[in-house]
Amino acid sequence: MPTSRAQKKEMTRQRILDAALAQCADRGFVGLRTAEVARATGVSHGAVFSHFPTREELVDVTVATVGRAISDRLHAELRGAAGLREILTAHLAAIREHEEHYRWLAIEWPNLPPQVQRAWLGIQSAISYHLHAAAERARARGEIREVPQHLLFNTWIALVHHYLIHRELFAPGRSVLDERGAELIDHFLYLLSTAPTRASDPGSN
Amino acid sequence: MTEPTTTCISCGMPLRSAEDHAKGDTSRPYCHHCAREDGSMKSYDEVLQGMTAFLANAQGLDQAVARTAAKGMMASLPAWAPARAQA
Repeated sequence: MPTSRAQKKEMTRQRILDAALAQCADRGFVGLRTAEVARATGVSHGAVFSHFPTREELVDVTVATVGRAISDRLHAELRGAAGLREILTAHLAAIREHEEHYRWLAIEWPNLPPQVQRAWLGIQSAISYHLHAAAERARARGEIREVPQHLLFNTWIALVHHYLIHRELFAPGRSVLDERGAELIDHFLYLLSTAPTRASDPGSN
Repeated sequence: MTEPTTTCISCGMPLRSAEDHAKGDTSRPYCHHCAREDGSMKSYDEVLQGMTAFLANAQGLDQAVARTAAKGMMASLPAWAPARAQA
């Protein structure tokens, strides 16, 4: 099937973006090297800039692509999730799908462009909203203690980010969420519970 | 794959079902948070105030930080981008 010039151009652009995404998964967004992106794509260094006029623009588009993917995945995972454990599980599942990129976003957030920082705040606020709503329902049933919304969220996210950022201490070269995610959920619910039983105990939620 | 989701033109919240829309009316491109009781869309200042409080409460942000972030978010949304890009 003949490919138009515009289609070829779009395909090359996508390949450059894919190479940038792969590099960022390994080494983060801030230090993105365009010469390596060009080599990985099999195009000249100049060709990268004909699609993305500046290095910053390539970083912006790369981060935005990841941010959108995480956000879409999160909303899809959260659909129908009502209980606290379901929300926490959905949250980790969404991060898990993009664990490498998410980890770098958590590490490099202060050095990323303002629009990226805002998108990040938006995503985190949405998670907090869902978590708080589920916690309020559990509290009404007397299952968990009262915790202010921001501390509920910040306690959870601090736990998750600590393990992600320091992954090499907990699961070197592997997915820390696969290995420790269930433990983090159990522990967080244990801290909130009014009648603490370890989540591994029969009948606990 | 995730199906495309429309978002509120005022605050960016995903509009996944009729009940997310103002008055449950899918012809209104804004969410129930951004609507007044009569279903009309809130003003820029009302939405800014609401979004600032939302961000501050959700994460315990400093008020000024939350307000700046809310302004930045609103500047990229269709309802406010033309008029408030310089705000």
